[in-house]
Amino acid sequence: MANKILVAATINGEPTEFLCEPQQSLLEGLRDVLGLTGAKEGCNDGNCGACSVLLDGRLVNSCLVLAAEIQGREVTSIEGLATWQGLHPLQQAFIDEDALQCGFCTPGMIIAAKALLDRDPDPTEERIRAWLSGNLCRCTGYDKIVRAVQAAAAAMRSEVTV
Amino acid sequence: MATPIGASPTYVGNPSLQNVDGADKITGRARYVGDMTVPGMLVGKVLRSAVPHARIVELDVTPALAVAGVRAAITHRDFVDNGPFGWPVRDAFVLAYRKVRYVGDPIAAVAADTAEAAQAGIEAIRVTYELLPVISDMAAALDPGAPQIPEVSPTGKGNLCATHLLRNGDPDSLLAGGQVILEATYSLPHQEHAYLETEGALAIPEPGGGVTVYANCQSPHIARDTAALVLGLEPSLVRVIQPFVGGAFGGKDDIVYQTTAQVAKLALLAGRPVRLVLSRPESMAASYKRESMKSRITLAADSDGTLRAAKVAITVDSGAYASMSPMTAWRATMHAAGAYRYQAVHVDTQVLYTNNGYSGAFRGFGNTPASAAAELAIDELAERLGRDPLEFRLQNCLRSGDCTMTGVRTPGGAGLAACLEWVRDRSDWATKRAAYDEQRAVGAGVDSRRSRRGIGVACYFHGSGLGGEGVDFATARLAVDADYGITLTAGLTDFGQGSRTVFSLLAAETLGVRMDRIRVLRPDTQTALDSGPTVASRASIVGGNAVRVTAQKIGHVLTLAAADLLGCAPERILRSGEAYIGPAEDPISFEAVVDHARTMGLQLSADGRWQVRPIEWDFERGTGEPYFAYVFGAQVAEVEVSAVTGRTRVLKIWAAHDAGTILYPKGALGQMYGGIAQGLGYALMEDFRFEAGMPQALDFDRYRIPRAMDIPDIEGTYIQMLPVGTGQPPVGTGQPGGPYGAKNLAEPVMIATAPAIANAFAQATGRRVRSMPLPLWNG
Ligand code: FES
Ligand code: FES
Repeated sequence: MANKILVAATINGEPTEFLCEPQQSLLEGLRDVLGLTGAKEGCNDGNCGACSVLLDGRLVNSCLVLAAEIQGREVTSIEGLATWQGLHPLQQAFIDEDALQCGFCTPGMIIAAKALLDRDPDPTEERIRAWLSGNLCRCTGYDKIVRAVQAAAAAMRSEVTV
Repeated sequence: MATPIGASPTYVGNPSLQNVDGADKITGRARYVGDMTVPGMLVGKVLRSAVPHARIVELDVTPALAVAGVRAAITHRDFVDNGPFGWPVRDAFVLAYRKVRYVGDPIAAVAADTAEAAQAGIEAIRVTYELLPVISDMAAALDPGAPQIPEVSPTGKGNLCATHLLRNGDPDSLLAGGQVILEATYSLPHQEHAYLETEGALAIPEPGGGVTVYANCQSPHIARDTAALVLGLEPSLVRVIQPFVGGAFGGKDDIVYQTTAQVAKLALLAGRPVRLVLSRPESMAASYKRESMKSRITLAADSDGTLRAAKVAITVDSGAYASMSPMTAWRATMHAAGAYRYQAVHVDTQVLYTNNGYSGAFRGFGNTPASAAAELAIDELAERLGRDPLEFRLQNCLRSGDCTMTGVRTPGGAGLAACLEWVRDRSDWATKRAAYDEQRAVGAGVDSRRSRRGIGVACYFHGSGLGGEGVDFATARLAVDADYGITLTAGLTDFGQGSRTVFSLLAAETLGVRMDRIRVLRPDTQTALDSGPTVASRASIVGGNAVRVTAQKIGHVLTLAAADLLGCAPERILRSGEAYIGPAEDPISFEAVVDHARTMGLQLSADGRWQVRPIEWDFERGTGEPYFAYVFGAQVAEVEVSAVTGRTRVLKIWAAHDAGTILYPKGALGQMYGGIAQGLGYALMEDFRFEAGMPQALDFDRYRIPRAMDIPDIEGTYIQMLPVGTGQPPVGTGQPGGPYGAKNLAEPVMIATAPAIANAFAQATGRRVRSMPLPLWNG
């Protein structure tokens, strides 16, 4: 296709170049072009948060961002959370607290929670619930998710102080 | 069998157990059908009806085939006998035949190189309709002039899809002599499953004329049998595999069987793989819902508060197709007067066709609306008697040895009173109830003008397994592999409810091995034996038992090998951890026993099957024994209703469920919280409405489901049968025949939530509401 756009961005810490259609969303770019299928499509209209990623550290619904818009910017998706040192404390806490059932909302939930903890290392339960209200989960009733975020926050705070 | 050392199980009920798929899910590695791609894969797309009821005058897909990039296009003509399917009534079609009956009914499908080409193909299809009158109100379905919606009426009576009845004693004479009577009609809305992952399937044509389909359905064997029939293929040529499934709650049966057959045909015609995933609005229009229901309840009690009799008349809106509605309606019939002692009960149920989408299985399966209605009625009756609603329930609720509303003694006991007492005590019921009554009576003060509080209760019983809905069995297969891992193939499936974890722990527990030795294969019609549908919260009980009996078979073989190696009688062998210990020699490892079994030529794989004790229900006379066991539970909800916004906010929920032994505690709590959230949505915001057959909300903006902020603090417990030997008397009840005394829990936990909230709303506002979701309060 003649009108494809070449995008250069940093994705999960890696400098990445890819071609996308002008109309293509970031979610489609990640999933269909780059094969990063961790971010999910739950609604494609900004209502469910399953497609959550960080764009320059800010939480976005990738279904509402154009792939071409990330030119020169940084994207973090669920695939970028674990490092050679192991899982991110949020990932570990989601396992430990069993904060997942079908798992479809989980990548987006973890990303959204990371955006929160990056800003507020010690959020109240109310703040966690408010912050995560852009992310739907139909399975868990959110309780264990909130516990997991609290546990991860505690773990991350003790890491920092050590 | 070898005797394990120490009676306490290692895995069953272990609070630190985690979901076996956790690592795949938190890293984004878990592949759902929409995450799967294969080279050469085409995109599938479906043309769906935009009108609720019409005759198809012309349908021509040849223009679609002329669109660049379109590789195949199909209609009903591409299927054997025009592609009928459905159980118990075969009234649906893989693609519409002669008529469309609801908005979202599939008409034709294409496969193309790209999504854009597929869309262009869909738009090129020529279809013309002759519009037919729309039936959107159940009350009009049986009018003399009403157009018949199904091709063939299953009852021979137009839009009457099915009827059920229950006959226990003679309520009429008791109603006539009853001192306090309540008569009221309750309406419960359609509810959308709103699983976060929409329906989808990926079909890959196979050499030799067969096809493999990855489909996010609940029951791969039914998807295979349906597809094989309409494709005209031997079942062995159709293979259905279930990848990770992003939630189902009963909603991924018929709609995904239909999708499976569509993609399979497209792939076979195009000779290329085809993937089709529904968009959210498409899913909301096309997929089936929880049935809407009207329940007209008449209750009679003595002035001392003893319940005497109930008569219930139910109408169920099945929508355009029967799907599971005849069965959900049967379950509604069996539970319509609630978990109480009666001398006589009659229930009469009608299932009706309309053009309101279509309805089928959803968590609670008919009991959710039926019990909601009953619990609102019981609350109103208590008020009429001047009784505290919780104490009134305690006075009349089923206790061990009582007969249920169907007139049979509760098998295996009833832990309902213990649940009611738990929620009463934990919620500080009496104090709050009195305080909120007073607040209403006074009606003054700043706070009571701005907002009012109320506290309400509801309880439930829920028949276990399929009951009279079908033969209730499951199968499992276990094999010890060359690396001493153990492969488990279960016929019942996991779509988010944690069955894979439950099956793993049961196999490990029964075999006395480490849980990480167990690998659970993805459900696959090629490897797993048919187990019937994964519905009715059957997985843990029926599927779990199948795993247990299969593991016992292999355990028996291993014990024989260990006895041979240790030179003693099999009964003399003890277990310590994984090790086998004989009277004389040192312990030997699991690996050594496996090796020895192989040298003896023993087979280390086995199949097992478990079937529920058959029960007898006479559908003609409405008598018999509907279920082999019941579970029970109670919930209290505390709400605050704002006089400013009119909104109801739930402050806290207390929930107790009589669940026998809990196999996987964290998973069980997750099921409870998830069920309560769905019940809260049902009470406060979820209303899948049709107007003249047109669905009124097709996205999460207008169809709201609970978000993290909407969910209050929940204090939940499972009233468990205490392990033998603790010296304490059991409080709850175990299920006869459940693995390790487990009962089912995935569905029933949501049942009490909505009526408890509505009953709390009634206390807060002084207004009894007989339909859900609750309205805004306008003073
Ligand atoms: S898919 Fe982006 S918000 Fe739902
Ligand atoms: S775990 Fe299924 S949607 Fe959250």
